[in-house]
Parts: sequence; structure tokens; C-alpha cells
Amino acid sequence: LAESRPHYGGTLRVAVKESPQTLDPAAQGVPVSISRMIFETLIALDERGRPQPLLATSWQSDPGSQRWRFFIRGGVSFSDGSPLDSAAVAASLRNSNPQWKVSAAADMVMIETESASPDLPAELALARNSIVRRSDAKLSGTGPFAIAQWDAGKHVALIANEPYWAGRAFVDSVQIDVGKNDREQMLSLDLDKADVVEVAPEDIHRARAENRTVKASEPEELMVLVFTHDPSSDDETHARNALALSIDTAAVNNVVLQGGGEPCGALLPNWMSGYAFVFPTAANIEHARAERMQAKHLPAWTLGYDPLDPVARVIAERVLLNARDAGITLQLISSSGSPDLRLVRIPLSSSDPHVALTALAEAFQLPQPRFENASAAALYSAEKSMLQSHRVVPLLHLRSAVALRPNVHDLNVLPDGTWSLNNAWLSGEKP
Amino acid sequence: MSLRRRLLVLFALTVFVSVAAVTGIISAMARSAFDRANDERTNALVAQFRREFTRRGEEVSRKIQAIAATSESNRIAIAAAGSSPDYSVFLDDAQTVAETHQLDFLEFADDRGTIISSAQWPAKFGYKEPLVTPSPSADPFLKEEETPGGPALGLFGIRGVAAGDRKLYVIGGIRLDKTFLASLELPAGMRVLLYENVDRDKFLPDHLIGAADSKIDPQEFAPLIRQVQQSNAQQNPVETGAVIHENSGQSSGDDETVNAIPLTGDNNQLLGVLLVASSRQIYTELSGQIRSAALLAAAVGLVMAVLLSSWAAARVTRPVEELAHAAREIAGGNWSAQVKSTSRDEIGQLAESFNHMTRDLLDQRDRLVQAERVAAWRELARRLAHELKNPLFPLQLTVENLLRAREHGQQQFDETFQESASTLLAEISHLKNIVGRFSEFSRMPVPQFQAVGLNQLAEVVVKLHKAQLNAAGRPPIESRLELSAAGHIAADPELLHRALSNLVLNAIEAMPDGGVLTLRTRQGFTSAYIEVSDTGIGLSQEDCARLFTPYYTSKVGGTGLGLAIVQSIVSDHGGRISVSSEPGRGTTFMIELPANRDKLPATTMPVGMSEPEENS
Repeated sequence: LAESRPHYGGTLRVAVKESPQTLDPAAQGVPVSISRMIFETLIALDERGRPQPLLATSWQSDPGSQRWRFFIRGGVSFSDGSPLDSAAVAASLRNSNPQWKVSAAADMVMIETESASPDLPAELALARNSIVRRSDAKLSGTGPFAIAQWDAGKHVALIANEPYWAGRAFVDSVQIDVGKNDREQMLSLDLDKADVVEVAPEDIHRARAENRTVKASEPEELMVLVFTHDPSSDDETHARNALALSIDTAAVNNVVLQGGGEPCGALLPNWMSGYAFVFPTAANIEHARAERMQAKHLPAWTLGYDPLDPVARVIAERVLLNARDAGITLQLISSSGSPDLRLVRIPLSSSDPHVALTALAEAFQLPQPRFENASAAALYSAEKSMLQSHRVVPLLHLRSAVALRPNVHDLNVLPDGTWSLNNAWLSGEKP
Repeated sequence: MSLRRRLLVLFALTVFVSVAAVTGIISAMARSAFDRANDERTNALVAQFRREFTRRGEEVSRKIQAIAATSESNRIAIAAAGSSPDYSVFLDDAQTVAETHQLDFLEFADDRGTIISSAQWPAKFGYKEPLVTPSPSADPFLKEEETPGGPALGLFGIRGVAAGDRKLYVIGGIRLDKTFLASLELPAGMRVLLYENVDRDKFLPDHLIGAADSKIDPQEFAPLIRQVQQSNAQQNPVETGAVIHENSGQSSGDDETVNAIPLTGDNNQLLGVLLVASSRQIYTELSGQIRSAALLAAAVGLVMAVLLSSWAAARVTRPVEELAHAAREIAGGNWSAQVKSTSRDEIGQLAESFNHMTRDLLDQRDRLVQAERVAAWRELARRLAHELKNPLFPLQLTVENLLRAREHGQQQFDETFQESASTLLAEISHLKNIVGRFSEFSRMPVPQFQAVGLNQLAEVVVKLHKAQLNAAGRPPIESRLELSAAGHIAADPELLHRALSNLVLNAIEAMPDGGVLTLRTRQGFTSAYIEVSDTGIGLSQEDCARLFTPYYTSKVGGTGLGLAIVQSIVSDHGGRISVSSEPGRGTTFMIELPANRDKLPATTMPVGMSEPEENS
């Protein structure tokens, strides 16, 4: 019975693939899960992507959604012991968002943006907007853990933040090895050198088949074909349509990814938008050929992919095969070249659909989507508009997952793919 | 070109052609022998390569057989035999097994031909493999396999794995590429290239591959490959060969014999061309050495030919040259020239004949001179007799008259004496005149050269004979001077004056009925000319031919010495005289006199004596 109750103590060992050179959340490439262990944001998103209070207890905006006021939670301190106040929050937000006009007043922070920002609370929930205290080269956050040791690109040692405002974490410390590939992570798990490792989407099925404890997220990463330029003619538009119709994403998901994703015809996953099923996902080779026949002059495209990603290579080769069935010629090149289209994996930055779609548009170098209002219809319209640019062909939404040793309990994997150790505890063999 | 040079060239050419012909024949025979030997070696090498190729095919078959017998294949076969097999678990299996067995290509396919797992194209799961038939070939075969990077040629084998009433097919092979070519165990001096026949009609240089460390120039092999493509297009793929000069091959400038072996797949489709090249370096070097030796022999032969030809030509032509020299001596007046005869051959006989001929000529000349001398004396005697006989007869008659007159009395004698004395004196004067002219002819003086102007001389002569031109008792003769000899020549003015006077007197005597006497002078580059023309009775051709013969005359009472004297004077000046005449139309004497400037001392050159102008 005692083994089923959470208890304090122990060191949790984690291995991750990313290899960050800094832990500052404002920088790119910092794993969100690690960042959220150390730092917190004013707002958090719940499982349905709705803003919830975190370091801010409440917020208000003017009718134009340009001026926002966030009331700071009291009794919160950074891991270095300094209290969290509006000035520290304002300083942190100014650092991560120089374009914002941020001012502090008593227990409140006021943010003024250049244009209407109805999704500002969701945006503040992004890890890059975490509240960070920067003194010299030292970073302090208000999260459940504090940085004990940082060996850039190799290892992070975290210790429990004793005065954490939401209650101390169960584990005393977390040792994180960064820059470990899939095979090394799984090997560490098997050799009892790690308690938590990441599992690639294509390995989820196998890991479960091997009776490992696997916790997977909702589909939170988009695999997509991105054209580097707009179609230059009707012929090219037809050819792009034919390519999109020819790709058998179900076979790719079933065989290559072993069910680690979901075939998609939309940019946002269904759990996030609620309408993704409207976009067809099944290949239709007859329609593809018919589209191709409408193109008098067929372009010969080059398809780039990440050569370090073995799954990407196989999927790219499958796309080449499917395209050839439709009469379209593709040539594979490594991503170091300048391909006509690229096969890329883009993590969805937020569980808020508006923020996520806006980030995708930015990643695709498309115009920012315009949302008429906060309704699902406006979201659908904006997403459809992006798809009709013929610049992107969504293929799959991928899940992220972690594999755990049996002694790890209550580790939560959130819908956006991040995992929380706030309530995790170790049992039995690691008292 | 002299006879000696011609003979030298002829001899040298003959020897050179002979040496060249011998060299060419030897070289051709050696090349033919080498080609035969090289062909035999190439055939042996190609046969050895074929055995190696077959061995590699059998090796592939053994590997496929081994894979088909593994538990992994059985596991896949059992899973594939199920109702709804999960291909995802086999996705990487083909790659793993292929790496283990060192195969480039490996596919697992079910008995419907559906690919379960592919090593060369993992994404090809679910596609159909056309090789899967109810009774696939057990022998290794060639196949063009599609890969993401494009078509690739491979040596394949196929085996079936039974799983109940279903079957799994293992299809695998090795790629025919640089690595494959480099792994072949080939004899020294041999290399193999492979052309992937991606385009059935064209030669694509990028698809010609050699071993990993081999450098090739694709265009060298293009004709050979096109030849194979064309024969394949005619449904008759045949092995063909050619000698190729490969600059970038194993060694620079190495010729190779290349055999093109068509690699065919199903339906005799030309999948590739294997080029088996064997170096001709050994034969090329041997051939080069023979060629060098032949060229050296030819060069030595040529030098020897020149030397021997020179010696032989000299030996043959020396007597001929001596003969020619002697002939020139004789032509120059040395009739006593003789040729030394040193042999008894035809040349020696020719020299003897030549010497005999010259001796005969000398004898004949002496006899002729003797005869001419006698004839001249006879002619002189005849002339003297003739000349003297005419005055002697009146002398005799006059003396006889005197004798008869003395018999008739003193008075008649006195009368006759006066008349006879006059006659005797006249005849005696005539005799003295005759004797004087003969004496004058015999005492022609040597010319004393000095500057003479022909124009002035002509004017003086005409002026001197003005009285004779207008003599009473006959119509007058008109004199004309056409003088254009501007310069001076070196001559004896007295003698020239005498010669001209003779010609003018002859002209006056030739015009008893009057006429026109014309004197013309003109200046040439090295000579001056003077002509004396009359419009008199003219001369016959016979007279013209004999006119300058001494003692020949066409006139009554002439001595025949006048024109002989003229010719003698002209000849003493180194000039020539000629005559042209037509009976009834007149006669023209033309004298050509050399300038003779070398005979005139510079100090004596008179003022006004100029060199004749070249363009005048």
C-alpha cells in the first residue's frame, strides 16, 4: 500500500534528445518540459487550451484588446529567494517581448501592444514568456525546481524548490542528460541509467509492445510538405493538388510511424480545432492523376528532408513513390540544398489554436492569419485560407511520448507534449 | 641538275624505298602477330571475367538461399501468411538482413508480389514486385532495380520460403557499381567498366562507371556502347570489341582492347554494357621498339645509301665528266684535247672512240688547212696572173708597136714612141697600183684604239666623198645622214674611216644612174651600229654569200680586196659586218662594233665620251 502513495525524496533521471546551449526560455531550442520545471508563466493553458491563472491571478483588457492588466500572485518568490513582484515580471516580459510596452504598478503589470491582441493570455502561456529573474549569468524561476548545475549541451541538475508556492515537488532532484538520441535514451532506460526518456512517435507502438510504460500526448507536431514559393502558374497549382492527393498518409502512419501519428488534411489537430476531420486525409490517386492531367507543363521538383531523421527519409521516399504514381517527378535532396519543397516537422507551439496557427503561418512564411472573431468558424476560415495558398501539404500530426521506468509515478504528459514532474514521485527501488 | 646528282638521288631513293618497304613489311607482320597474341590474351581474360561474374552470381544465390533459410524469413513468412499482416513491424527487417549478408538489394514479398519490406527502398512496402511469379528463376539474373536515387543495375537471386499454403519470396542482389567492379578479382592489365543503359537510345556519359580508383573518359567508349545499343535495338545483342586509345586509363597513353558484353534482362532488354578492357601496353611497347629499330635501320640505310650512291655516282660519272670537259675543250678550239681511258667497259670504249675522233679531226683539219693553203696560193696565183696579164698584154703590144715603128722610120717611131710611152706608163702605173693594193692588204695595221664618235666619222666620210657623189657625167647621188649614236666607242678612227670610205665608194659605184646614199648610226647597250645603204643595182644572194671572200669581186676591174679589207678592219675591232641586198633595190651593209671601253685607258678618255645609257 505504501508503494502506491506519493512520498518525497529520490532523484529522477531524465534523458532528452534536445541539446540546448542555454536554459533561458527566451532563447530558442530550450525543451519546454525542462523550462516548465524551472520557470512559470503568468498564464497556463488547460487541456482544452483555455487560459488559466498561474503567476497571474486575474487579468483584464480594454475593449480593443490592446491594453491588458495582469494581477500578480502574492507570496511567490524566485528560487534565489527574491520575491516575485510586478517589477520583476515586467522586466522579464520586456526582455522576451521588446515590442511590447510593459509597465509595473503595485501588484499589477500592464501590457500594451501595437495592435489588438485578443489571444495575449494564451500567448503569455508560451514557455518563452516565462517569468525569469536574470542576475549576472544566473537564471532564477518560480517553478518547482531550481538549477543546481548546468553543463551546457550535456547535463542539467535540478533540485526541488523548497518554498515553491504550489507545494514542494516530491522528488528531491532531477538529473537530466541532454543531447541523447532515441537509441541512447532507450538504452539508458534499459540499463537503468534513466527513469524517463523520450519516445519517438514511430517507436511508441514498439515500446508498448515491449511492455514499457509509455505516456503519449495528443498529436502536437505537424509533419508537412512546405513549398518554398507560391505556385507560379495554374499548371503548378494543379500539380501541387495532384501531389497532395497522391500521398497515402495512412500507409505512412501505419507502417513507417507504426500508428505514432494521425493522417491529417488540416494544420491543426482535431483535438485543438474540433473541425480537422472536415479536411480529407485519404489518398485519391485517380483524382491526383486527373489533376495532373490538367497541368500541361509538369514541373520537376526537388524534395528536401532532414537527413538526420531516418523517418523523414523513408517518408520522403514514400512521397516520391506516391507522386510518381500520379505522374509527378520528384527528386530527393538533403535539406542542405535549396529544394522546391521540404518535408518538415513543426511542433505546435501552443494548445491555443489561434496562437498555434499564427506560429505555423510564421514558420511557413505565410501572411499572419486574420481571425474575424474567436469563433471556430473564424479559425476554420483562417486555416482554410492558409491551405488554399497551396504552399503547404499537411501529412501527419505526430504525438510525443515518454517511456518511464516502473518506479516513476504520476508523471503527467500534457496535450501539448510537455510533461510535468510537479507531482511525480519515485517508489520502491529508488526510495 | 648534273648527272652525278641525278644518279645520287636515284640511288638514294632506291635504297630508301627498299629499306622503307622492308621496314613496313616487318612492322606489319609484327603487328599482325601481336594482334593475334593480344586477341588470344583478351579472349582468355574475358573468359576469366565471365567465370568471375558467374561466381559472383552464384555467391548471390547462396546468400539468398541462406537468408531464405533464416528464422527471420520464416517469421516474416508466417506473419505474411496471416489474414491481415502488420507490415510496420517488418519495415526495417530487409535493411537489417541485407546489412548482415552484405547485400545491396533485398526485398521480402508475399506470393501476390506485395513488397513487405525493402532494403533498397524501405518506403516501397505495399507496392508490387514483378519478379514474383509462380515459378521464378533459380539462377542468378540481371535486373534494373528502382531506388530513390534512380535506377540501378544489380545481380539478383530469388528464393521462396513456404509458410503453409502461402509463400514468402526473398529477392536480393548486389549492385553493379564502382564497389562491385573494384571487388572483382581481375588479372593484371585488365579493368572492367559498366555502362548502365538507362536510356535505351542514347549514350549518357554519367552512367559509365569504373572501379573506385579508375579514371575514365566516357566519350572514348561512346561508339562501342552505341554499337551495342543498336544491335540490341535490332533484337540481336552481340558482343563486340574495339581498340581504344585511353588517355586517362591505368597508364597514360595506354591502348586497350575493349570487349563490350551486353547485359540483358527479361525479354533480352539491354540493361547495361560491361566493358572488359585489357591493356595493350606490352604489345604497344614491343611495337614501338620494333618501329624505333626499323626507323634507326632506315636512317642508317639512308646515310649509307647517300655515301655509297655518292661513291658510285662519282665512279660512273667521272669518265663522262672528263668526256664532257674534253668536248668543251674542243669546242673552245683545243682540238688536241684527249680523255684518259682507265677501263675497258663501255665508258672506256667511249673514251677511246672520243680520242680517236679528235685525232681524226686534227688530221682532217691539218689536211684541210693544207688544202686551203694550196687553194689560196692557187687563187692568188690565178688572181695575180689575171691581174698582171691584163696590163702585160698592152705592154707587149706597145713594145711591139715601138719595134715596128722603128723599122718604119724615125718619124713614125717618134710619133709612136710618145703614144706608146704614155701607154706604157699608164699600164706600169696600173701594175704598181695592183701591186700596191696587194701590198696594202698584206700589211693591215693593228688598230690603235681611241675614242671615236661614229656620227662625226660618218659626217666626215660623206663630206669627203661629196665630189664623187656629184660627179659629172652621171646623175647626182643624194646623201642622207640618220645619226643617233650619241656616245663614243673605242676604235681606230683611221681604219674605220677607211672601211667606211670603201663602203661609200662601193655604194657610189653601185648607183651609176644616181640614187640615195644613206648612213645611219645608233647606239646599243654594249655596241654601236653603223649602216651604209644605197639604192643601186643590188646584189644576188650568191654575191652576198661570197662578197667578203678575198679577191672576189662583182665589178669589172675590181680586185676583190675592198670588202675583204673592210671585214678585216671590223673583225680587228671585235665587230661583225653583214649585208642585205635585193637586186634592183639596193644594198645595205651593217656594221656592229663593240664599245671596247676596256681597251681605252681611263686617262685617255676624251671629254664628252660618255657611257651609253642603259635605257637608251
